[in-house]
Amino acid sequence: MTDLQIWVSVLEMGCFYGLIALGYLLVLQGAGFFNFALGPYATVAGMTTAWLVAEHEVPLWPAAFLGLAAVVALSVLTELVVVRRVQSRSSGSELPALVAIAAVLFMIEQSAGLAFGHQPLAGQSLLRTAPLEFGGVVVQPYAVLLIGVTVLVFAATALWIRYGRSGRLLRAVGDGEATARLLGLPVARVRLLAFAVSGVVAGVAGLLFAPKAGLQFDSGLGWTLNGFLALVVGGTRTVWGPLAGGLLLGAVQMFVPYYLGSEFVSYVVLGVALVFFAFRPEGIFVWRVRT
Amino acid sequence: MADGALLRGTGIGKRYGGVTALDGVDVEVRAGEVLGLIGPNGAGKTTLMDVVSGAQDLDAGTLTLAGRPLAGAPWRRARLGLARTFQHPQLASELTVAENVLTGRLAARHSSVRGMAASMLRGLLSTATGRDECARLAADMGLDDPGRLAGELTLGEKRVLEVVRALAQDPQVMLLDEPFAGADATGIAAIMEAIRTVRRRGHGVVLIDHSVDLVASLAERVVLLDSGRVVFEGTPEECLASSEMRAVYFGGGYDRT
Amino acid sequence: MTVDRTRPAGALRRPPTAEAEAETEAGARAGAGRPAVGLPRAADRWPPLLGAAGLALVAAWAGGSAYHQDLAVLFAVYALIGLGMYVPFVMAGSLSMAYGAYAGIGAYAVLVAQVKLDAPFWLGWPAGCAVAVAVAVLLGLATARLSGFFLAAVTLLFGTAFQRWLVASEDLTGGASGMAAGAGPAVLGWHPGRGVLMAAGLLLVWAVAWLVDRLRRGAWGVTVRAAREVPLAVESCGVRTRALDLLALATGAAIASMGGALFATFQAGVTPETFTLDIVFLAVFMPLIGGLGTSWGAVVGALVVVETTVNLPVLDDSGKLVLTAVVLAVLLVAPNGLLGYLDRTRRRFAPGAVRGGRDGARG
Repeated sequence: MTDLQIWVSVLEMGCFYGLIALGYLLVLQGAGFFNFALGPYATVAGMTTAWLVAEHEVPLWPAAFLGLAAVVALSVLTELVVVRRVQSRSSGSELPALVAIAAVLFMIEQSAGLAFGHQPLAGQSLLRTAPLEFGGVVVQPYAVLLIGVTVLVFAATALWIRYGRSGRLLRAVGDGEATARLLGLPVARVRLLAFAVSGVVAGVAGLLFAPKAGLQFDSGLGWTLNGFLALVVGGTRTVWGPLAGGLLLGAVQMFVPYYLGSEFVSYVVLGVALVFFAFRPEGIFVWRVRT
Repeated sequence: MADGALLRGTGIGKRYGGVTALDGVDVEVRAGEVLGLIGPNGAGKTTLMDVVSGAQDLDAGTLTLAGRPLAGAPWRRARLGLARTFQHPQLASELTVAENVLTGRLAARHSSVRGMAASMLRGLLSTATGRDECARLAADMGLDDPGRLAGELTLGEKRVLEVVRALAQDPQVMLLDEPFAGADATGIAAIMEAIRTVRRRGHGVVLIDHSVDLVASLAERVVLLDSGRVVFEGTPEECLASSEMRAVYFGGGYDRT
Repeated sequence: MTVDRTRPAGALRRPPTAEAEAETEAGARAGAGRPAVGLPRAADRWPPLLGAAGLALVAAWAGGSAYHQDLAVLFAVYALIGLGMYVPFVMAGSLSMAYGAYAGIGAYAVLVAQVKLDAPFWLGWPAGCAVAVAVAVLLGLATARLSGFFLAAVTLLFGTAFQRWLVASEDLTGGASGMAAGAGPAVLGWHPGRGVLMAAGLLLVWAVAWLVDRLRRGAWGVTVRAAREVPLAVESCGVRTRALDLLALATGAAIASMGGALFATFQAGVTPETFTLDIVFLAVFMPLIGGLGTSWGAVVGALVVVETTVNLPVLDDSGKLVLTAVVLAVLLVAPNGLLGYLDRTRRRFAPGAVRGGRDGARG
């Protein structure tokens, strides 16, 4: 517990899961929906960039931009083609939407497997400077970027939700979509915006975390689940909640193998999920009636 | 029981955050009696029904049915002898008319795990499900095609179907929430006949409806609710003539004597 | 809609008690001009007959080829997992993604019995079912009041944890390399051949599909399906909806574990990689492809899945992708409609209830 180097890893993982969880929060507010495809979005961003750089010698920053663009496109398509339609048709029951997003998740995974192969790809670090060293702790450049960008993104989102015009619209829709519609708010545009921004956030997370985790076509599922758990643990009361949840999960991921053994990570994560889902349902489980 | 209260609620209170939906409501239904519950929108009529049936918890007061405490989950209260319909019909739209009635008629089997297991076995061993009996019950109330999907019925037919489902439970007390709203003449006649039948069997009915005339023609006693309080209680004639009735429906104050 | 005015005012009969129901049905049968109620109707007979014919075709196609037999058994395993999914998912509307784990439990139970406990293989079948049921009930209790997303997430996490546990528990499960029984299954000294085992597997699929279909149309099945749409109303009739859901989850888990047990019995071996999470997703898609109105849809879906993902060389690796795209297209075009459409179509050919008005008996 006192080994600071491990804490750096905790920060890295925590920031990654926090960003994914933030993506969940945005779509939850904007569309009342849990976008289980966020994990694969992160994978696609990372893999597209890595593949462009490694196989096609595209320069780093343009490749990263293309990777992000691909994910934003995917995210917007998810809303336009799938979620919007399925949600409007199945009033009350959320099962069709859940099955649809599971299908999207699986589809993106399989497509990534076909496009990029089943072998792991190495992530590309966007910062190529020397690692930081202080007090015996080494912080890799990608980690500096990851942590720094995470804080920036969260702060920017917090300000945007509070003071930005579209951000406040997002909150209004989140408080009650039917009412928002009655008030004449542009609900459809808000939904699209939520999906697009969450795509950017997930894509950024995937890009920045890739150097640590490596990239495999099917890592998306695990990332989706952990990001979701981070959201539930951290809560939806404040924009910083997802980050708190992510950090807690990061701590579990780093310390449990150290003290208990590597397989115990998945048991503890399952246990955390069961406890939080069963005993802390308030705030997230109020499923708004869709009309 | 020839006399004595079948269903009794004393001092019922219900709050939603800062809003008092029900305050000190006393209500009583005797065997073989229809109790009408009237009042303007937002008076708390449906809330009272929800609290009695267990769809919502009450914050104050007690409930008894045939002398026994009426508490717990909705299924427990139904087993004690309660059945209800809903302000917006709650029917399984993908199931047929007969199948919707079946849910009510055979609910007793599905109130315990053992009963459910036995029901599963029965389903595996035999194709006879009692749909025909349910079809007969529905036809008695004018729903002739028991094979039609509930989602395809008109609003009036749905209201009738809900009443059939409630009847099929053979309840001690039936709670009807605006069963006539949206029903046509034949539907109304069928539901009125059902109410009279329940009364004849010595059971009780609580009837909410906005049509004061219909309620007055069916009920022995009427309770007037306003803003969560019982404002008047008496026979339909007394109620219609009362100053409270005028005040509540046409504005102005009233004597609280 | 007409009220029959020729009936006297007291026409509303008290519904008979459950015990008297049997007598009423018998009386109806004896009554003049009434369709016989207790005998299987045409619609009850067709699906199982068609299913039997289809499965016999599969058996014939498999013939003596070992590879084809493997595929046929794989199909049977997938069909059982899909059927396991059918009860809680399609009937009760609750999406649990733990089916890979339940199948794994069934498979490992058979092998643990043979390899570790020196017990006959068939003991593993009920043992696996019991464990799977216990797990399903525990998971169901823990996630009782939560929306579908949470159940899906928890069950996926459970599937992951279960796979890690299989790899880590070398003593019991053989770890990452799995377990293999030295000899094939034996019953009182008789070693059934692979052809026999395959036929038995296909027969099992037929029996389970037929039973699940009956379950669906019986009183319990109808109640489960009603509770899926209007849980409060059904509970207000006196039904314990929570217990209903748990029973549905337990049934599904038991059936899925039989799928795993079949695999382990036939292949005499299993590894942690056998029942991946991919299978869970495919199992969700099976009833959607094959048709939701009847349990045979899950069987048809399993056939399509095995064909496209394993057998068709033209699709090769992209089989799963194509399949998912088709499923998504179906979901988008008619998500609720597919369910209703198929059921409605089936109903037109299945006089499952007395049709008074239509047949002209009444006004």
